[in-house]
Amino acid sequence: MSLEEFKNRNIGKQNYVKLDLEHTPQTPLGRFSRVVRRTLKGELFVGLYVTLREMINALFRGEMHTVKYPLEKLPISPRYRAIHDMLRLLESGHYRCIGCGLCEKICISNCIRMDTRYDENQRKEVSEYTINFGRCIFCGYCAEVCPELAIVHGGRYETASEQRASFSIFEDMLTPVDALKQQKEYDGFGAVSPNADENIKKTPLAY
Amino acid sequence: MSARITTKNELTITIDGKVCHGIQGDTILQIARANSIYIPTMCYLTKVQPIASCRMCVVNVEGVDGMILSCQEKAVDGAVITTHNEALYKERQNIMKLYNVNHPLECGVCDKSGECDLQNKTMEFAVASQSFTARDMHRPVENWGFISYDPALCIMCEKCVHVCNEVVGDNILAISVGGYKSTIINTRPGEECSSCGECMSVCPVGALVSTDFKYTSNAWELQKIPSSCAHCSSACSLSYEVKHSGIGNHEKKIYRVTNNYEFTSLCGAGRFGYDFANTGAKRDRALFTSAVEALKKAEVIRFGATITNEEASILQHIKESYGTALVCDEARGYQKFLEAYSSVSGKSLYSGSLKNLSKSRGIIVLGSKINDDNPMVKYHITMASRRERARVVYMHPIEDAAMQSIVTQFIKYEAGSEEGAAALLAKTLIDTKKVPSEIAAYLDDLDIGNLSAESNIGEDELEKLSKSLIKKSGFTLVAGSDLYNHPRAESIAKLLAAIELYGDFELILVPPATNALGVSLICDLDEDKDGYSVGYNAPGDFVLSAMGSGDIDMPALNQQEGTLTSVDKRVVPINAALAYDGYTLNNLACGLGVEAKYTIDYTEHLPVVKGYEAVAFDDLPDYFDASGNEHRGYLLHSLDAEQTGTLEEVADLPTYDGGVVYQCNSGNQFTSFTNKSKKLGTDDKLRGSQQFATLSKLNDGQKVRFEINGVVYERVFMIDTSMKGTIAINPYADMGLSSTTVSYYRFNQPKLEVMDS
Repeated sequence: MSLEEFKNRNIGKQNYVKLDLEHTPQTPLGRFSRVVRRTLKGELFVGLYVTLREMINALFRGEMHTVKYPLEKLPISPRYRAIHDMLRLLESGHYRCIGCGLCEKICISNCIRMDTRYDENQRKEVSEYTINFGRCIFCGYCAEVCPELAIVHGGRYETASEQRASFSIFEDMLTPVDALKQQKEYDGFGAVSPNADENIKKTPLAY
Repeated sequence: MSARITTKNELTITIDGKVCHGIQGDTILQIARANSIYIPTMCYLTKVQPIASCRMCVVNVEGVDGMILSCQEKAVDGAVITTHNEALYKERQNIMKLYNVNHPLECGVCDKSGECDLQNKTMEFAVASQSFTARDMHRPVENWGFISYDPALCIMCEKCVHVCNEVVGDNILAISVGGYKSTIINTRPGEECSSCGECMSVCPVGALVSTDFKYTSNAWELQKIPSSCAHCSSACSLSYEVKHSGIGNHEKKIYRVTNNYEFTSLCGAGRFGYDFANTGAKRDRALFTSAVEALKKAEVIRFGATITNEEASILQHIKESYGTALVCDEARGYQKFLEAYSSVSGKSLYSGSLKNLSKSRGIIVLGSKINDDNPMVKYHITMASRRERARVVYMHPIEDAAMQSIVTQFIKYEAGSEEGAAALLAKTLIDTKKVPSEIAAYLDDLDIGNLSAESNIGEDELEKLSKSLIKKSGFTLVAGSDLYNHPRAESIAKLLAAIELYGDFELILVPPATNALGVSLICDLDEDKDGYSVGYNAPGDFVLSAMGSGDIDMPALNQQEGTLTSVDKRVVPINAALAYDGYTLNNLACGLGVEAKYTIDYTEHLPVVKGYEAVAFDDLPDYFDASGNEHRGYLLHSLDAEQTGTLEEVADLPTYDGGVVYQCNSGNQFTSFTNKSKKLGTDDKLRGSQQFATLSKLNDGQKVRFEINGVVYERVFMIDTSMKGTIAINPYADMGLSSTTVSYYRFNQPKLEVMDS
């Protein structure tokens, strides 16, 4: 349908088809007999059958079409930018964040802040880390800039809570140690490209 | 543009098609930088001799084969130079690749990340892949007190070694040569290092970092507040770098101090002693009223010289309005000394400057333990010693081990005989010169034999001194705070003025406290007297204190704006790095009716008759240009004075038999502000040689009590094996308010009482 046709509002020239409908009964008896006729038609049971079939499928065959939100949630796209997760190293279980401060620097709403210190093992330790979710605009820059794939966007898309602190503590965002096996690599912004291996240039080893 | 006068010293070269002028002896790089032409370097450091280890600065000179190192090659008149072409780019790119061999990929945590020369140049020369290789090896991190050294990150540019030797003069760092195994080594770990942090500041990578600052902040998070150091009269240029204290605390905190290390230096107190702010001050109307009342009824305002010119000006205004006597023990002696000096020299200010000091070929230091009194003066003497091969004559009753590497002749005189020493110097240095007849007569009348015997300065020593200076030119005489409160200070001042006037000497009178020069120029100081007194960082019946210990708080020098007058006779700005919520001296003065909206409103009203300029605070420049010329504030004008003074006859030299105690702060301590700094540690021991211990019947570790000028000191005595002689050193920076009451001669013979432990 071209735009011109679409814009044509001259309804008088359209091809209307007159439906062949039965005449509306004029007498009270006629109206009454139509009600009786319609009520006792077998098509009703066709509809009831469909409902019953779907009910049995949902209740007994596990083919439910709705989810019990908030008890159940639908999976979201890996590219969706929800509340951040902090990942751990799979081997050691230590958190991946090295405290480089790039997420803090790149954050355009200035909502990330971290304190770092020189720890007993001569490493840079992240002593505190917060994201102010009242200000976070979920742009994904932090996940993109993170050199260690430590800060990523997770699946928690409900950005409402009784208190902001529920989200903003480092420990809350961090994968629990006992759930380390369930930790999934992130596929969204900043993830390693599928052909990353091909792009690596190796340093020569002459010795 | 005015026509350029070409002298035979000037030369003209063409760099990348741009005609550049320079002076004979300038290197190609110096001329390029002065003309804003960029030549990349990795190891070049303006304040030391060219190191020539990186070869990044290579250029092509027309008619010369191969590449020339622009950092050390002196420019030749008419040379045509190319700084950028394909071959040079490849050369530089290869150098950067070599620097990156096995350089740990820890930029994410490295403190230098963001201000790292290696990062910048690697990006600049687009090093995307590595074509060189070497077997890596284990190089553990070393901890050198204030500084930690990571050899794995070190690129061996050697800047730190050069700065330690050529500027600081400690000669602590050295290179362990061994090809790829080369490292920087600390030849005397743990001791004798003056902990200045100069090596750290010039490190282009993260190899030398402050142990304290390490991993606490990234460079880009810190806000730089340009200011001047508040600890001694050098008022060195520095930047306080501030950031919020932490996630839970939004108050600004100073994380570190940096400086323009290409051109300037800092001592340890300036670099690490930044935590002296007066925190937690609050506004309390009742307290304010009582402070104003106290000032109103005060007959004496006693104050320390660690204040700004503006505050000094406010005090002077209060004096003018209320007739209050102004007493500044730290500056009074200096003021009188300057007056006596002017009466002979005919100038209001001494002639020397630190820049000229570093170019002097003959230097005499008289009456100051200069390494502790003013490290920056010592650094400039070191530069002269290293670069100009200057003769450095160090005249003091105490031999200073820290000066050993730069002093060519040490002349020891007896404590108290400074006047004799000055007279002997005058005789040695100006007797041969053309002098007016009365001075000639004065010099002839001096009883050299007697003076020499009394002061213990041998005539042969003086002969050696005069011989060593005979073929040189460019002399500086550095005089220090032993002289200003000497009983014969005026006579000494006149003798020094005579030496400056007739002996071809430049004179530097090192001010004894941060702004002693400013205070002595701005305030009409009075002698101390009895009566109700208000102390500002000094004892009094009502105390205003920036140390946080008084009746009402005042801002410390890193919490307020203003200017200081430095040893260089320069009026330099300071800026507020940290917040201050209490009252300032200006607030109190407004309460007294001495009205100004801000303290810095006084900057443009500093006394022009004393050499200040009428420039508003916000118009004061604060930068170094590409050639390293200082544009901070302005230089004081030296004004003509009446030459009414005559040299005084040398009085009988006093004798100090037995143990002597010398009032001197050491180890990066200058004032109670440096004492407040937790990073600098404390210096609270009476230190003396074994000889002093025997003479005073003291044992190592014994607690003694003594009194100097009314202040009672209780000190642990410590035998310092690096010291000799019968003079012990007693610090006073930890004495709080009374540390500013130094109106007395620095050598004393107090009665030492041993305390029961």
